[in-house]
Amino acid sequence: MLQKIYLAAFCLMLIPLKGFALEPSEKLIFEKNSLYQYIQVIEDTVKKERYVRNQRREMTQGGIYLNAPDKLRFEFTQLLFVSLAFLDGDPNDVLFIGLGAGAMPKYFTVRYPDAIIDIAEIDPDMLDVAQKYFYFKENERMKVHVEDGRLFVKRTKKKYDWIILDAYQNDYIPFHLTTLEFLKEVKSRLKENGVVAANITSPRRNKFFDSMVMTYKKTFPHLAIFKGKKSGNFIFVATTGSENRDRDSVEARARKIQAARRFDIDLEEFASRYEPSEVYEWVGAKILTDDFAPVNLYQHQKSEAQ
Amino acid sequence: MIKFVVFICGAIVMSFEILGSRVLAPNFGSSVFVWGSLISVFLAGLSAGYYLGGRISDINPSSRKLAIMIITSGILFVIFPLYSTPVSDWIFAMDLGVRVSPLLASIILFFVPSVFLGIVSPYTAKLMICSLHTSGKTIGTLYALSTFGSIIGTLITSFYLITLAGVHALIMGQGVLLVAVAIPLYFMNLSCRIEPSGPAGVMSDTK
Repeated sequence: MLQKIYLAAFCLMLIPLKGFALEPSEKLIFEKNSLYQYIQVIEDTVKKERYVRNQRREMTQGGIYLNAPDKLRFEFTQLLFVSLAFLDGDPNDVLFIGLGAGAMPKYFTVRYPDAIIDIAEIDPDMLDVAQKYFYFKENERMKVHVEDGRLFVKRTKKKYDWIILDAYQNDYIPFHLTTLEFLKEVKSRLKENGVVAANITSPRRNKFFDSMVMTYKKTFPHLAIFKGKKSGNFIFVATTGSENRDRDSVEARARKIQAARRFDIDLEEFASRYEPSEVYEWVGAKILTDDFAPVNLYQHQKSEAQ
Repeated sequence: MIKFVVFICGAIVMSFEILGSRVLAPNFGSSVFVWGSLISVFLAGLSAGYYLGGRISDINPSSRKLAIMIITSGILFVIFPLYSTPVSDWIFAMDLGVRVSPLLASIILFFVPSVFLGIVSPYTAKLMICSLHTSGKTIGTLYALSTFGSIIGTLITSFYLITLAGVHALIMGQGVLLVAVAIPLYFMNLSCRIEPSGPAGVMSDTK
């Protein structure tokens, strides 16, 4: 009898472990070990939200409000759109590296229906998940290329106005998408006055963040940084144009775009978070190259900049 | 000493494989095809090396010959940075598809070095068996040491070495290490005396 109780207690202990510790309000609706990652689709029945993530909550790759699937659920996805204010005009050709739930391209195409969008995503299962659970749909103007982002950039002959780098595997960026050589390849795919926006996570400022700042700064003449308030995300906005846009001009432009394209996020407030990269630059940080890029290890080492 | 050599070679095989993924990623990405190519080419190289090593160890084996083979592989490692980038760029430019490109690059870059490292285990086994006559224990010990070396090589490389230096510098360092462990082996003068009475000896004599 006692044994049975122990056994029952043991079984109960195991239950919360399933699906990697869900909250009581959360429901696992899909999981799969794809070729590249463990993918989990979770629905929060109280908040009425749906997320796609890897093993842990910190590895959330995207999500939506079930009642308003066209809104942007996460701050970093909203914040990324501030980079539009660095462009002189409307972007015609856009490239996303990394699909996630597909929320950003979906949100963008509604506001810029004329833009041609390419998306490079390495994991075919991530595309399936975006389509099945997050209302993402390809069309003749928005195409997903199931391919390594680096290879897509190297092979494409096309040039883009706006390139968004948001490829993650669990909580890190694959090393070959962080290096000086890669950023130079990205730069070569930019039209004149093109803009690159990158999502860089650094919950506590770490060595990887410092290296990223210096590597971007070495590749691009101008770099502005926007800090997330709700998470450890930073948005890097790098430009190639001859003149550097200051905070005032970015704010003014953000205000204009906000009204013209009916953004339901506060682009102007985001623009006010503008920080020039000098705030974060630290010469002691190592530039990441194809030869030297200890991304994962640097993420776990505290920044030495003070 | 000879056991230490087996351990080091085991460590370098896996360390080189980990670094290999870094060598391939800039031109071929980090898709499952890249990993598949890399792992299968290393295994193919090792199995060819085991076979070849077994065969040549039957012909007057000596620690001096083994040392020369290890030094040759060490030299391949040291000059690796000279040819790895041109070879990768060339295969990238040919654009043979996402599967064939990394496979071909892996064959050209990693097959020959892994054959040489594969030769080491059976060759040292032969050398030690003829001097010790306890073949089971000897072979078991060598297998264990080689694989234990591989574990250490994998861990040290992925947990630590990658933050210390660039991939190319690390590969050159491995080459230097291979040469360094092979030099004392060269002067050890360990060899198999073929006893005239033994049937195996007669056979290999007449060959």
